[in-house]
Amino acid sequence: MKRRTFVRNGMWVSSGLLVPALARAQGAPASPAAARSAPAVRAQTGGAAGVIQVKGTSPYEITRRAVAELGGMNQFVSRGDVVMVKPNIGWNRTTEQAACTHPEVLRAVIELAFAAGAKKVVVMDNTCHKAEDCYQRSGIEAMARRAGAEVRFSDENRLVLHDFKGEFLGKWPVYRDHLEVDKFINVPILKHHGSSGLTIAMKNLFGILGGNRGKLHRDMGENIADLANGFRSHLVVVDAWRVLVRNGPVGGRLSDVEERRTVIASPQIMHADVAAAALFGRDARQVEFLQAAHERGMGEIDIAKIALKSLSA
Amino acid sequence: MDRRTGRLLQRARILSQIIFTVLFFLLLVRSGGGDAARLPWAGLFFYFDPLFLWVSLLAGPFLRIFLLALAPLLLTLLLGRFFCGWICPLGAMNQFFTWLGARRGQRRMPVARKPLRLKYLLLAALLVASLFTVQLLGWIDPFSLLTRSAATVILPGANALLQQALLAGPEPLYELGRRVLLTVTQRSFLQAAGIGVIFLGLLLLNLHRRRFFCNYLCPLGALYGLLGRWSLLRLAINDKCRSCNACAAHCTYYGSPFKDYLKSECVLCFNCVSDCPEAAIDLRFGLPVSGRRPALDLGRRRLLGASAVGLAAAALPLIAPARSARTHSFLRPPGAVGEKEFLEKCIRCGACLQACPTNALQPAVFQAGLEGVWTPVLVPTSGYCEYECHRCTQVCPTHALARLTLEEKKQFKIGTAVIDRSACYTYADGYNCAVCEEHCPVPEKAIRFREVEVHDFRGRLRRVRQIYVVPDLCIGCGICESVCPRSDIPAIRVGAEEEQREIPYG
Repeated sequence: MKRRTFVRNGMWVSSGLLVPALARAQGAPASPAAARSAPAVRAQTGGAAGVIQVKGTSPYEITRRAVAELGGMNQFVSRGDVVMVKPNIGWNRTTEQAACTHPEVLRAVIELAFAAGAKKVVVMDNTCHKAEDCYQRSGIEAMARRAGAEVRFSDENRLVLHDFKGEFLGKWPVYRDHLEVDKFINVPILKHHGSSGLTIAMKNLFGILGGNRGKLHRDMGENIADLANGFRSHLVVVDAWRVLVRNGPVGGRLSDVEERRTVIASPQIMHADVAAAALFGRDARQVEFLQAAHERGMGEIDIAKIALKSLSA
Repeated sequence: MDRRTGRLLQRARILSQIIFTVLFFLLLVRSGGGDAARLPWAGLFFYFDPLFLWVSLLAGPFLRIFLLALAPLLLTLLLGRFFCGWICPLGAMNQFFTWLGARRGQRRMPVARKPLRLKYLLLAALLVASLFTVQLLGWIDPFSLLTRSAATVILPGANALLQQALLAGPEPLYELGRRVLLTVTQRSFLQAAGIGVIFLGLLLLNLHRRRFFCNYLCPLGALYGLLGRWSLLRLAINDKCRSCNACAAHCTYYGSPFKDYLKSECVLCFNCVSDCPEAAIDLRFGLPVSGRRPALDLGRRRLLGASAVGLAAAALPLIAPARSARTHSFLRPPGAVGEKEFLEKCIRCGACLQACPTNALQPAVFQAGLEGVWTPVLVPTSGYCEYECHRCTQVCPTHALARLTLEEKKQFKIGTAVIDRSACYTYADGYNCAVCEEHCPVPEKAIRFREVEVHDFRGRLRRVRQIYVVPDLCIGCGICESVCPRSDIPAIRVGAEEEQREIPYG
């Protein structure tokens, strides 16, 4: 009889223990203690920050080469840093379908970050399809783990309001993981996108946002520019190994994918995007969000005015 | 057998109950978003259920895997209702709650034959109704009941409580729990409250009467009881018995092997053997002597009455408007067979609800008529049919959702999207959006836009990318509806228009 009483009482006690938990869940969310202040972020505009474009035979090798040409990962990551490496894992698609960042490009970036002394590398995204499916099918979760990174899912309980202080985009919920790291490396894939024309590094920052992101499609170009202007990417590495040239951003058909065997790297997000747009065959001036970014003084929109170094490895 | 043997058998029985319950939940948890290639295992318990063998026989083509259900049937002829006592996970949970509710010195109840009879009459009514294409066995079959309750209430509920508890604790503990225990997103179900209240009610009724559901309601238990009365194995009293009736103290059906022995009700729990002070109860193995098959007298008239109730119950859905309606407002999961056949095959178990990774599949309330309660419907406002997934078609035990390969499923048209021009931003308000276009998984895009000049809400002329649907390409997956950024009603909705399952083909 004692055992039974114990179990029965135990059930009451444990349900009582849940009360504080429930009470806490009702309470106010943690204040947006943003580790990174927005004004400092705005300082990233500026002249002709270099862009490296490398074409080659291995996505891993050309990524390493591109970062080396920028002066090495030590330029961007300091010893002891916690580094966020933010790929595009938006869709439940394979590497061949080119809707998500190539895992080999990601592996190179993670390894370089560790080699530069990073204490921890985190990989995550706020996906469009079911997160577990995207992480698995894209091959990114397995590769990132193997390279030693910590793979996280975006957790609603970790959303905080962040003020982007933009013309269109003000306060918006952000997964605080992205605010709590020391360095943010933006590793998008270059592809076609129906409503924004292209998706590259600036658009990739949608993945740090929570909330009803669909609402941001109303003035998509302006919002993307505000987003990229209000949140700093310390380094941008654009995967253009395979490029989805039609029916993006989700794609699916291999006939819509072209091999470009290229990686573009730059510490200047606007210039990386302008160069990637050129590689795609688009004049940046025709791309709404790049036009909007240019108007905000985020960088040159004329590819001719950007110090672009192209090489083959 | 002496008390020690009784205790041993009792413990073996409890161990067996724990093992099968754990196995049941393991299979169920694994079928949630698991590896599609391994999913056929998810239906294991269903294949051993003779009631579903019956469903498959009636609704054809017969699925041979249900021949597995002959095994417990034949074993019941040997052993009696061992299945209820030793294997059934719902039985085990009922037993656990019975044990929780037991009190010292509780007055012994006499065996009550009337309520014990109820389950047989229920079985008769359900079987008769099923002959008339009204298939409701799944509402109350223990495996359907438990799977449905676990998928929509127990597992999501446990996840929610655990998450709140972990959130109150230190962060590293929360992170660990989130990685190894919690689902990435909290699942939620229509009717969870209804299903949950029923389930909780059934569990709590065990505090009132021992194994309430098993004794009085379970149609599967009734079927085993019918066979069990013929079983070779039985309990018998030897001459050591001093007529103390101590064996009645914990008998699951309030009988005893000494007095009120009902072989059809005995689930071989062996509580009596461990209670007997004189080692006066034996297991005997032999042909049942005629006239000595202690069992409930069901009564011909009562059985006829129950069958009549079954007939009446069958008539009601047959004359309901849902059966003849030309339009309907719900979507069925991919692979669903035509509605009439679907209602016959679907056992309302909810295995598909558990397997659906996006939470799109929901138990119907009354959308599909009264007989359609708890059948799966696809609700795009709660999730979407993932293009690269066919899990629900792999777990359906009765093939009410046909086994589709991934390629077949991608082609399977669930319905068609339609734009509500009075709500869509690109029409009503004159500004860009295209979230639905972006998400449309059909490679050649069933949702597209064209640039037009329209007046926006300020009266200014603007160039806007207006959305339109290509109905022939649309497969009705519903991701467009699920991502539409409007906060009140989705401006693009998927209906059953042109759903493939109602079009004769092949």
